[in-house]
Amino acid sequence: MPVTSEVSALVGVGILLTALYLQSESFVAPLIRGIAIQSLLLAVLLGWLAWTDASPDLAILAALTIAIRALFIPAFLRRQIRAFRWRLREVHAAHRVTGHALAAVALAIIAWFVFQETLAPVFPEKGAALPFVLLVQGLLMLATRTNTLVQVIGYLEEENAIVYAGVLFASTFPLFVETVVFLDVLGVVLVGVILSIQRDVTGVPEAAGLEELSG
Amino acid sequence: MTAFPASSFWVFLVLAAPASASVLALVPHAAASRWAARTGALLALLAAAALLVSSTAGRWGPYLGVDALSEVFLLMVASIYATSVWYSDGYLAAVHRPFLTPQVYYALLGAFAFAMLATLVVTDLGLMWIGIEATTVASALLVVLERRPTSVEAAWRYTLIASAGLTVALFALLLIYASTGSLDAFRLAASPPPVTRTLLMAVALALVGYGTKVGLFPMHTWLPDAHSEGPSPVSAMFSGVLLPTALYAFLRVYALVPRPVPPSIEALLLAFGLLTAVLGAFLLQRQRSFKRMFAYSSMEVMGLALVGVGIGGIALYGALLLLFAHAFAKSSAFYCAGNVLRADGTTHIDDIRDLRHRLPRTAGAWVLASSAVTGAPPFGTFVGELLIVAGAITAGLTPVALVVILAILVAFLGVNSQVGRMVFGAPSGLRPATPSGPDRGAGIAWLNVGVALVLGVVAIPYLGPALRSAAALLGGSAP
Repeated sequence: MPVTSEVSALVGVGILLTALYLQSESFVAPLIRGIAIQSLLLAVLLGWLAWTDASPDLAILAALTIAIRALFIPAFLRRQIRAFRWRLREVHAAHRVTGHALAAVALAIIAWFVFQETLAPVFPEKGAALPFVLLVQGLLMLATRTNTLVQVIGYLEEENAIVYAGVLFASTFPLFVETVVFLDVLGVVLVGVILSIQRDVTGVPEAAGLEELSG
Repeated sequence: MTAFPASSFWVFLVLAAPASASVLALVPHAAASRWAARTGALLALLAAAALLVSSTAGRWGPYLGVDALSEVFLLMVASIYATSVWYSDGYLAAVHRPFLTPQVYYALLGAFAFAMLATLVVTDLGLMWIGIEATTVASALLVVLERRPTSVEAAWRYTLIASAGLTVALFALLLIYASTGSLDAFRLAASPPPVTRTLLMAVALALVGYGTKVGLFPMHTWLPDAHSEGPSPVSAMFSGVLLPTALYAFLRVYALVPRPVPPSIEALLLAFGLLTAVLGAFLLQRQRSFKRMFAYSSMEVMGLALVGVGIGGIALYGALLLLFAHAFAKSSAFYCAGNVLRADGTTHIDDIRDLRHRLPRTAGAWVLASSAVTGAPPFGTFVGELLIVAGAITAGLTPVALVVILAILVAFLGVNSQVGRMVFGAPSGLRPATPSGPDRGAGIAWLNVGVALVLGVVAIPYLGPALRSAAALLGGSAP
């Protein structure tokens, strides 16, 4: 097995494990650490490919992944927890994490088989199904979690899935770096602007009605 | 396709006008800001109309181009942008402690319109995706204008759910690029790639991804919140043109599928469309807020339009006509809703009565607009829905036609009975009726509902041929 494939496979397994870990956690601080590690793993893969392919685009993507999704947004989310202690844990999810984890494993298996049945002949690379599995995991997190910060983590996981898919089977996708920048801008808008407005408009942070988005 | 220099000017103007208006609206002087927004919107409308009249299909460089389909949507977006800008002035004046200054509001409105118009003049599927995503960035803050905690929650849901959906759409584009080596929508549609599992998967993912922004079931959950919490001119743009623009992005992916469309894709469109239409029609019955009711009505219409696309033939033409007429009718309904909200300070249907005496001009337009959005004859929406039903029967899909008729009837009864109660119902005494209210802006509502009416009774020069050509591009046909 060539070194690049080994690196890709190792990182892929790591990303998959972090994705499953994120589904089984209800405390927000470990979730933030988890998504930062996942982003860092992805950045390692991007950096490796940038080096072996001498690709400046991939180097930019690696730098962006570290700067925005491994450092900036996680740091912002940590500050939110320190400011608003009630956001420390997703209360409703605490009772359901076992169910979430089982659903996540089941969905990962289903997504893997769907990929093998439909897309594998076109994308024969080892681990090509992993971005698809990661995308489904991100959607599951967004669909099942109600805590604002956890939803941001779900969004970041989806973005990681897109970058992962881009480098694995559409590396010459036009304007890919710009597209990822755009996704990052949206991520920053999500956490930076709307969460700040939330504090400004609701006034009292302990007005925890906004924690569990419902209705 | 041939490029015409005159048309390139209109394409440039249709983008430059809202972009410039967005920047110029930030001037410190409120009146100057308003007029910058109005001038930009009118210039964009002029450019969109000129493109439709010149019926030019052309390309400019590797990324810009228009055809009949984009021209129809351009006119729709530019029209509702213009009327929304015009309506906004009176609405903003009545908002207590707005979260945005009028200057920022107009700047964001311009950016929002620019993002939609840009989506419609690019030929690259990746840029279209960026355009749709940019609509989220530009419009999310507009939802928070009235500074309610529920508005923030609605903006949050909207941004998060729409963006999550759009990442799925981006995944679909990655698959298309990986299997065809191109994202040029015009070139790929002219010589469609062979039907492969990858292409079918990409179309299905694009439907789910863009469908989130269209408001298709079960990805619709952001829609009623954002529509009901946003200011009325923004709700008008959401319902009238944002949802169709997202559908347009899907249609560009759908156009890559060779005709006849594989049964699996047709079934997928019909399933999503019918479920959305029926659920939208039934859910609107349960709403206590008139703005949420109209939001669910939009969901129903988007479902019907998707059914029309899935059936093809004259139903596809009907779907495009329905979208066009609905944009005017629904924006009119939301402008009236804004007037009622300003007068009574509530969106609760049970708290509003006797509008015909208190807001006579608004009430009249509201009754007509409500009839129009639910497909009452002789509005353009009626003709569109009739063609969808006729197309289903012609294609041998009688059960589909019956479900469509059910959704139309349920929505018609639900919306019109509630609006009838608010307009003609006597005051209950539980809440003293406001004696009079701001009818300002009712003229714009009348104008838009008038357009929806004209679309149903008169063959409009230039628009009819454009709709026919647009339907033909997607494999449809005119009646």
